[in-house]
Amino acid sequence: MRPAVTLLWLLTVAVASAAAVFLVLGPGRPLPEDLFGGISGAAWLMLALAYATVGALIVSRLPGHGVGWVFTALGLLIALNGLSYSYATWGLYARGGDVPGLSAAVLGGLALPIAPLMALSLLLFPDGRLPSRRWRPVAVMSAVASLGFVVAAVLRPGPFDVPLDPVSNPLGVPGARAVMDALNGACWVLTCVALGLGVRALALRLRGARGGERQRLKWVLTVSTVVGAGTVVLMGSWFLWPENVQWRMALLGGLFIAFPLATGIAILRHRLYDIDVVINRALVYGTLTMLLGATYAAIALLLGVALGSGSAPATGAATLAVAVAFRPLRARLQDEVDRRLHRAGYDALHRVAAYLEEVRAGTAAPEGVERLLRDVLGDARLELRFLLPEGGGYVDVRGTPAVDAPSDAREQTPIERAGTRLGMVLHDPAAQERPDLLPRVVAAAGLAMEIARLRAELRRQLDEVAASRARIVAAGDAERQRIERNLHDGAQQRLVSIGLALRHAQHELGPEAAVRQTLEGALTEIGDAIGELRELARGLRPPQLDDGLAPALQELASRAAMPVAVDATAERFPDGVETAAYFVACEALTNATKHAHASRVSLSAQRRNGSLVICVADDGVGGAAPGNGTGLSGLRDRVGAHGGTLRIESERGAGTRLIAELPCGS
Amino acid sequence: MRVVIVEDQVLLRAGLKRLFADGGHEVVASQDDASHLLATVAGDRPDLVVLDIRMPPTFTDEGARAAKAIKDAHPDVGVLMLSQHIETSHVVDLVRLGGFGYLLKDRVLAVQEFLAAADRVARGGSALDPEVIGQLVARPSADGPLAELSEREREILKLMAEGLTNTAIAKRLFVSERTVETHVRHVLSKLDIAQSEDGHRRVLAVLAHLSAARDQR
Repeated sequence: MRPAVTLLWLLTVAVASAAAVFLVLGPGRPLPEDLFGGISGAAWLMLALAYATVGALIVSRLPGHGVGWVFTALGLLIALNGLSYSYATWGLYARGGDVPGLSAAVLGGLALPIAPLMALSLLLFPDGRLPSRRWRPVAVMSAVASLGFVVAAVLRPGPFDVPLDPVSNPLGVPGARAVMDALNGACWVLTCVALGLGVRALALRLRGARGGERQRLKWVLTVSTVVGAGTVVLMGSWFLWPENVQWRMALLGGLFIAFPLATGIAILRHRLYDIDVVINRALVYGTLTMLLGATYAAIALLLGVALGSGSAPATGAATLAVAVAFRPLRARLQDEVDRRLHRAGYDALHRVAAYLEEVRAGTAAPEGVERLLRDVLGDARLELRFLLPEGGGYVDVRGTPAVDAPSDAREQTPIERAGTRLGMVLHDPAAQERPDLLPRVVAAAGLAMEIARLRAELRRQLDEVAASRARIVAAGDAERQRIERNLHDGAQQRLVSIGLALRHAQHELGPEAAVRQTLEGALTEIGDAIGELRELARGLRPPQLDDGLAPALQELASRAAMPVAVDATAERFPDGVETAAYFVACEALTNATKHAHASRVSLSAQRRNGSLVICVADDGVGGAAPGNGTGLSGLRDRVGAHGGTLRIESERGAGTRLIAELPCGS
Repeated sequence: MRVVIVEDQVLLRAGLKRLFADGGHEVVASQDDASHLLATVAGDRPDLVVLDIRMPPTFTDEGARAAKAIKDAHPDVGVLMLSQHIETSHVVDLVRLGGFGYLLKDRVLAVQEFLAAADRVARGGSALDPEVIGQLVARPSADGPLAELSEREREILKLMAEGLTNTAIAKRLFVSERTVETHVRHVLSKLDIAQSEDGHRRVLAVLAHLSAARDQR
């Protein structure tokens, strides 16, 4: 495939070179209606080379691409046309017709279906295939027109058109001149229809296209429109000013070059936005050069008049003015060009800038950057993923862990800032009108994304700390419970068994044995040991908690040194919450006894707004400072482990209230 | 008296069996969990079932549920529940039925008092652990009726609540039965509780009073 296209290209170059030779030799004198001579011939040879080169490039990159082959063919045909015309005019006028194969050459040059092939290339753009089977008739139309042109040219009798009128068609069918002219006209009609439908095909493809495809189609459609409009203007001008035919044809050939170039670029370049950048830069710097040049000239001229032309101060002042004006002028021009050429991009970047200003002022949350990107890029499925350091994986803007490779077809664009990978943008390239905007917007919003990522990281670490604290407390509680069980069911029962064995021994020994007293003493010891074990177990975790918070609090109150009024809900709560609440009450009662010298305490445990609220109030001396003493800080940890809060109200002389709120779901 | 023992720990079960045997009672059955307990009770017609509150499989309140089931099916059979620690929530309902006792396990070491309590329960009386009573009577509020009782009277109130008869109280305190009777009369009138010769009803009245006093605190 590739050698074939290379061969065709070489052939085209050879033909064009030969044509250029005869073009330079020329007819030797000005000819009437010399459409393809001189400058015009050169322009059309350039067009031939453009088609051939672009076609060869397309085929070598995308083998079998329809547009590539059509372009390759067009290039060769146009070059052949140029060769035949320049050879014929040279042979006919410079050499007086004394060259071989003159009429064959003229005939070959005429019988070339260039226009229908152009229509076909429009149909095949951009993927090299017809849009659908329904478009086949249009392709057939082009083929029929091509064939018609060849037949009409070959069979038309009589002399050829001016300036080749001295030669007569050797293959002409006598008397069929009018018929062949009609056939030629019909073929032109078919070609025009095919061209129109080709443009329509582009427009239809554009309607269904998104993203990069849409960009390409827009580009080619725009160029086609410009080429078409240029053609119409040039042809129209023919009727008004019939002079300068050659220049007009040269312009037309030059204009046509835009089409293969634009098409080739559209097919070969994956992303087209750099073309926008080229246009953008060209406009900015072109205008900049013009304005600065004008400024320089004006200042140099004005000061030159005053100080004498060519004076050093005048040149220096002009240079200085230009140097000073350069940066602000460039910025103004860039802004202006962006605003006019890339309205969407211009607006997007300005919104991002305004948003960053709000983030700095603290009136907008950096997490809102995702919503902002969705809005300005018009991609509702866009999502941000932040990469947490130290193998933290990906999280979304809220800090919840997210899968790093979503299963849908969204594209992933990495976010980088100062060389560090911050994460990625998941976006739908098809949903975005201008994919080139994404990297610019992402770069502009980098600060907000970095802050959002840091906050996500911070949240995750806090969550982790809270979770680990809860785990530690839960593990401690479980261990306490295990030890409590072991004390009750193990050591304590064993001591009772031993006691019973001693009692039995006592019984067996009878009432007279002296050793009875020893046994009695041992039994008392055992009784004390059992009592101590029970106290120890209760301190670890009161067994009453198995039955709920209320019984445990009642039991606690009954053992307190002062009257305690208990108002506890009979509702059950998660184990850890009940344990924490119990220890809060325990510590508060201890403090009320030891430090507050209270005479009464009220103890309440009620559900309020999804939390278990423990309130212990005494009528003691007050003035308890929170944070002193490990008891309270330990409690704070315990309550905090369940996401709760602990606060102390203790004015001197007004008693102490200790209030703990423990979230317990709904 | 005919006794059934339900206790999962082998040593303790053996010790309890020996304890009752030494006291001259007949242990008609002993088992290590509460399964088939109702069948055992129906078959052996014991006077008393002694059971541990925590037993396999979950070691939570199997004993309490078995006790309730026995009292439902055989109200005349005494049930004496033993526990490693005080769990008042299981006790409150059962004690009203009569013929029910609730003691800490280590009370068995005070053999005479334990057997007396067991005997009381088997006869339809009550036996409540002093710890339970202690929680009810501890620290009277300054203005409550309990504050009007003397130290001696409060002591007697506790023993009444435990389920002891006047005779048993007299023996425990080494005083004459008449003295006890006088104290009891004073206590009951100070607390405004109707006099009753029925030991169980007296216990209930005292307990009701104590619970009410406690709830007021």
